[in-house]
Amino acid sequence: MPDWVEPVAHYMFHVGLPMTLRIAAYAVIGSVAIGIAIGTLMTIRFRPLQGLIRLYIEIWRGLPIIVTIFLVYYALPTAPVIHHRFAAVSGAALGLTLWGSAQVAEATRGAVQSIPREQHEAAAALGFGWIGRHRSVILPQAFRRLLPPLVSLVANIIQNTTIASLIGVTELLATGQRSIERLQLTPPGDSHAFAIYGALLVIFFCISFPLTRLAIFLERRLV
Amino acid sequence: MLASFDWQFIWDHIPDFWEGLKATLKVAAIGIGGSLAVGIVLGAARAHRIPVISQLAAVYVEVIRNTPILVQIFFIAGGLTQIPGHPIRLEPFTIAWLSVTIWGGAYNTENFRAGFEAVPNRYREAGRALGFGQLGTFLNVTLPIGARIALPSSINTYVSVLKNTSLLTAVGFAELTNTAYSLESVSFKATEVYFALGVTYLITVSLLSLVVRLVERQLAIPGTF
Repeated sequence: MPDWVEPVAHYMFHVGLPMTLRIAAYAVIGSVAIGIAIGTLMTIRFRPLQGLIRLYIEIWRGLPIIVTIFLVYYALPTAPVIHHRFAAVSGAALGLTLWGSAQVAEATRGAVQSIPREQHEAAAALGFGWIGRHRSVILPQAFRRLLPPLVSLVANIIQNTTIASLIGVTELLATGQRSIERLQLTPPGDSHAFAIYGALLVIFFCISFPLTRLAIFLERRLV
Repeated sequence: MLASFDWQFIWDHIPDFWEGLKATLKVAAIGIGGSLAVGIVLGAARAHRIPVISQLAAVYVEVIRNTPILVQIFFIAGGLTQIPGHPIRLEPFTIAWLSVTIWGGAYNTENFRAGFEAVPNRYREAGRALGFGQLGTFLNVTLPIGARIALPSSINTYVSVLKNTSLLTAVGFAELTNTAYSLESVSFKATEVYFALGVTYLITVSLLSLVVRLVERQLAIPGTF
């Protein structure tokens, strides 16, 4: 193996990859928590609340993720009233969470509505209130249907963490690019960009492919 | 407090946003048309299990769907120029439409494969019985029905193609997001610029879905509503 490979691989796997997984973990946890909560609330027949959640979903699903991340990272610090400056890592995680939670909310709404009315009625007859009914009866059943899209979401979020590199987060893509720049500046000046970008494609494929296969497998088992 | 939001600034820079939007729409239009063509051809190859092409198409679909589009863009813009021995150098505009077409084509191949496979076999048999050859049966039976079945899922792909053009800003292509980014870096009006950018995307995305939905209604198989 050529000399340049070892330090580049070390940098990418010990600095870039952990950061990619960290942002993805924040975003997945945030998306699932917010998405399941508001997706369930959306099944309550109360128009103003439904409209508000619908607006949230349409905005964050409609915007390109890069625009959402730019809004959070660049626009909020100078915004009237808010004036909040996020660190790049939190800004990227928050941007991905806004997008991801909208996806989860939509999937949750569908999953909750697919549970037959009788389940609600039976739980109510057993004395469960709205919260207890959803927590103990409806959501556990809806979760089966929700699991395949959640697994796909994890794969999508991991892929989209690369956008964090555009606001200066040293995740996997950024470590690859910095390696290319450094190799270019050191003699003999060969950047190895083809090999490094190719390696990035391979690494992301190795992470994402098992997840998308798992999602398809879960989807089939459900039917 | 809302007074510190500079509406006049947005108003003054509408021509800049319009220039950026035009570039975005141009690339998105080619990307959508290209992914439609790729989707129909490779989707047909997948659905009819045409040897070699079908397997290659499957690999193409899996590679594109399981890697970040941003890395694909950098690979095309920066990686191909550094192939040892055979560097491939592309124009920025070529990089732009090529990368979103490759991405959208992969997703559309899946959409159309599913659509073509959903066409009942007896329809094809009826086509053959009427004397159509294999290509004739595809063009007159499988394509018109299967493409309509594939339409709702392919709409999502077209909207995503439009949204993904925003990532071309990373390689310096002057589309809408890049225009906003440049405007922000000279004016420091981040809130105004990105607010206007977000609203522009939301309007454009809604209009695109509206247009495609109208087309869908026009194309719907009569009696299936």
